[in-house]
Amino acid sequence: MTIFKVAAVLLTGFFVGLTLEGIARKIIARVQRRYGPPWYQNFIDVFKALSKHGFSHGWIFDFGVLMALGGVIATLSFVPLGNLVAFPGLDNVFVVLYLFAVGALGMAMGMVGSGNPNASIGVARALTQMLGYEVPYLVSLAAIIFYYKTSSISNLMNLQADSWNLFKMPIGAAVAFISLMGMLGKKPFDTPIAPAEIASGPMVELSSKYMGLLMLMHTFSIFVEISLFVDIFLGGGSYLVFLLKFTVVWIIATLISAVLPRFRIEQVVKFYWRVPLGLAFLQAFFVLIGWVF
Amino acid sequence: MSQLLLILFIGSFLVYLLTRMNWIIGVLANIGLAIYSFYRLFTFKVGTSESIFSLIVNQNGTLVYSELSKFFGIISLIVAISVYFFLINWLEKQKNRAVFNFFLALITASTLGVFFSGDLLTLYIFWEIMLLFSVLLVQMGKEDSKKAALNYLTISLIGSYMYLYAVFMLWNRYGTLVIKDIVQKISVETSIFKWAVLILIAAAGIAKSGIFPLHTWLRTTQGSSPDAFSAILAGQLEKLGAYMLVLTVAVFPSLKMFPVLYGGIPVFNYVLIVLGMISILIGTLMAIKQNDMKMLIAYSTVSNSGYILIGLATMDKIGFAGGLFHAFNHAIASVMIFLSFAAVIYRTKTSKIDEMGGLIWKMPLTFITYLVGIISLAGIPPMSGFISKWMIFVVLVKKGMFLTAAAAFIGSVGSFLYVFRPLAGVFLGQLKSKHKDVKEVPIFMLIPMLVLVVITVFFGVIPGPVLNMITAVEKELNIQPLEHTMTVIKSSVGQWNTLTVFTMFAVGFIIAFILYMVFPKAKRIPLTNQYTAGEFLYNYDLYHYSTRFYAFFERLYEKHPSVEKLYEMFGKFFKDIGEFLNRWFYSASPSAYLLWFSIVLLAIFWVRW
Repeated sequence: MTIFKVAAVLLTGFFVGLTLEGIARKIIARVQRRYGPPWYQNFIDVFKALSKHGFSHGWIFDFGVLMALGGVIATLSFVPLGNLVAFPGLDNVFVVLYLFAVGALGMAMGMVGSGNPNASIGVARALTQMLGYEVPYLVSLAAIIFYYKTSSISNLMNLQADSWNLFKMPIGAAVAFISLMGMLGKKPFDTPIAPAEIASGPMVELSSKYMGLLMLMHTFSIFVEISLFVDIFLGGGSYLVFLLKFTVVWIIATLISAVLPRFRIEQVVKFYWRVPLGLAFLQAFFVLIGWVF
Repeated sequence: MSQLLLILFIGSFLVYLLTRMNWIIGVLANIGLAIYSFYRLFTFKVGTSESIFSLIVNQNGTLVYSELSKFFGIISLIVAISVYFFLINWLEKQKNRAVFNFFLALITASTLGVFFSGDLLTLYIFWEIMLLFSVLLVQMGKEDSKKAALNYLTISLIGSYMYLYAVFMLWNRYGTLVIKDIVQKISVETSIFKWAVLILIAAAGIAKSGIFPLHTWLRTTQGSSPDAFSAILAGQLEKLGAYMLVLTVAVFPSLKMFPVLYGGIPVFNYVLIVLGMISILIGTLMAIKQNDMKMLIAYSTVSNSGYILIGLATMDKIGFAGGLFHAFNHAIASVMIFLSFAAVIYRTKTSKIDEMGGLIWKMPLTFITYLVGIISLAGIPPMSGFISKWMIFVVLVKKGMFLTAAAAFIGSVGSFLYVFRPLAGVFLGQLKSKHKDVKEVPIFMLIPMLVLVVITVFFGVIPGPVLNMITAVEKELNIQPLEHTMTVIKSSVGQWNTLTVFTMFAVGFIIAFILYMVFPKAKRIPLTNQYTAGEFLYNYDLYHYSTRFYAFFERLYEKHPSVEKLYEMFGKFFKDIGEFLNRWFYSASPSAYLLWFSIVLLAIFWVRW
């Protein structure tokens, strides 16, 4: 049974993730008054990349790509999608968040292994950005875990039956959403990629199936990140309700990123450690003294 | 136990003589001794006590074998055995091999002595033996290691003299130094006495494990001591500090001795937790800045000691277990990292990150050791390091200690940053042309490294055996034991299964591998075939980003206050006073002597002696 559930989760991640990425491109195009590609463009891109003959920079380059995709697939299988939960009770928040780091480490290692300094700079920026957004995010999650006395994502989701955390702890939800923007690498937090400065950073040496596999990894990562936000802040519900909430969050994030310019990397860290971290502590303080709506 | 210690101390002299004759036999004898004592640890019955020599009248020294001594003994012997194996090849390039081996054997013996000690004086004696020989070993390293050794000695002595003062205070008050007796009597004392004693005892642990005010020795000492000895220092000696901290917070019943503050934690432990927080922040931020890879990991030790201290000081079943498990994991991980560094330095003769690059193509197995080591050190599943960090996070969140939790999160994410620096700078990227002929290290250096890799992965997937030992320690110290099975770790705020996580990671990797195999094969191109934005490059040595890797982040805290500079200021102050006195009283000119001679004579006449 678990196998089928894991497969369902992964397939959802694949189809919904790629579709929504295509839709996001369309939305951004419309915001910028272009026509934009069709919604299935990302499927075409992935399969085209996968079918080409490309170039490899040695075993660590290949291994890094595999570790990245493998880590993210493992992470995705632990994330509950509405009432589709592959591992009930074992889906601990910290485990999911840190398992996510395996994929990130794999990608970083593989890309730096390509020997291009642009990739190293991109990875250095990505890690620094991670230091920025993870801390406020984890503090706001800590407040929620402290309040509900559970760190299982599916339990947290089900415990919001009466009222969503978005309304119970609005400050924490805002912090988590800002951190989510950083995790997604959307503007204004797309410094690690920064195509005009460092030639797409980590992706600089990618070709063919490496590009395709990492596009899949990126899709799954986005799926994990938004799913976590939806599960923890927007209450439970059935599988379809979950997908609806997911789409809404994704479109809002896309719309915000479509109109913003890019931060410099130190501005990212400064921003995250000033505003969201302060707000996260404020939320934690409110939870401690019992001010939860 | 006294028999084992005697064998070890006599054996170490034997090791010296054997190494004088043939150094390989000496190293093997050393390994034999360590394996023998590892075996003996399992044969002793927990709870036995013996009395040994007496230094004070009516007061025998006592040795007690407890679950705690077993746990720490096992850690320190795993570290010792793997480093000794490493020496079979490494020692070839070291001068004074006999003395090196001899001191290492003595250190292991005295470390076990510390863990076995049943009274505070015996503990002190073994502690000082360990300190003396470790100082002598530190100064056998690079050219600036003499100064580093002095630094190490000074700060360790601050710790151990404070400890000795506490011992005197307790002796004055009770006339006994047996830990078991003192522990029963101390909880009814005045609070000033309790604070004084415990802070003084904790100081030894703080100095040894590198917690905030006394952490300054780690950078220079780890940085310039002999490379293999750095592993011993991180894995074996700093865990003595952790042992001392367990002694302070758990063996002395801090829960009964002090009023409870926020979150059910005694006030005294809270002070320690604040020190731990500061250590995590300092260790992380300073590690990010280092260019010397050994110094970088030295600062990471500061940060990880902070985690251990925080975990232990919570005195909660899961937090305390997390602290102990983190001591285990950090010992193994830091030994792996330092051994892989020693291997790199063995071949390249440098420890500066920006003088290397691309060594993965020459030393792949060393790279794998380093990779697994950092995954464990940074606390990423599926290695064992994550389990202990998870336990510490859970206890902090459960108790609502958000500030401490934030420091722990910064330390944890920050560790991704600093462990990535040597990975990117030393092992990945472009190979330097001067390192074109570097080879992988010899087989006996690889064996211990790879065995440690297996240990780390194994306990990351099946942590049960270590957790069983930890729960035994917790029962012995009257803390509720952690609930767990072989692979499931439970807490009051949820559980997780290490085996499921590992299986899913394997499944994910296999899916990725199948996709990789299905699609067309890629052509292997050399690293010099690069996107260079249209430039022609002639020197690929320079096409490698490793100097000031996080410059943009370092700039944010460039003007930080430094404890090291403060201590240097004190040092300079005392040195100036010394020089002043020297100039006035000991100047080597006849007129000065005459001056002082006449002043003294006049003074004697004046008081009419």
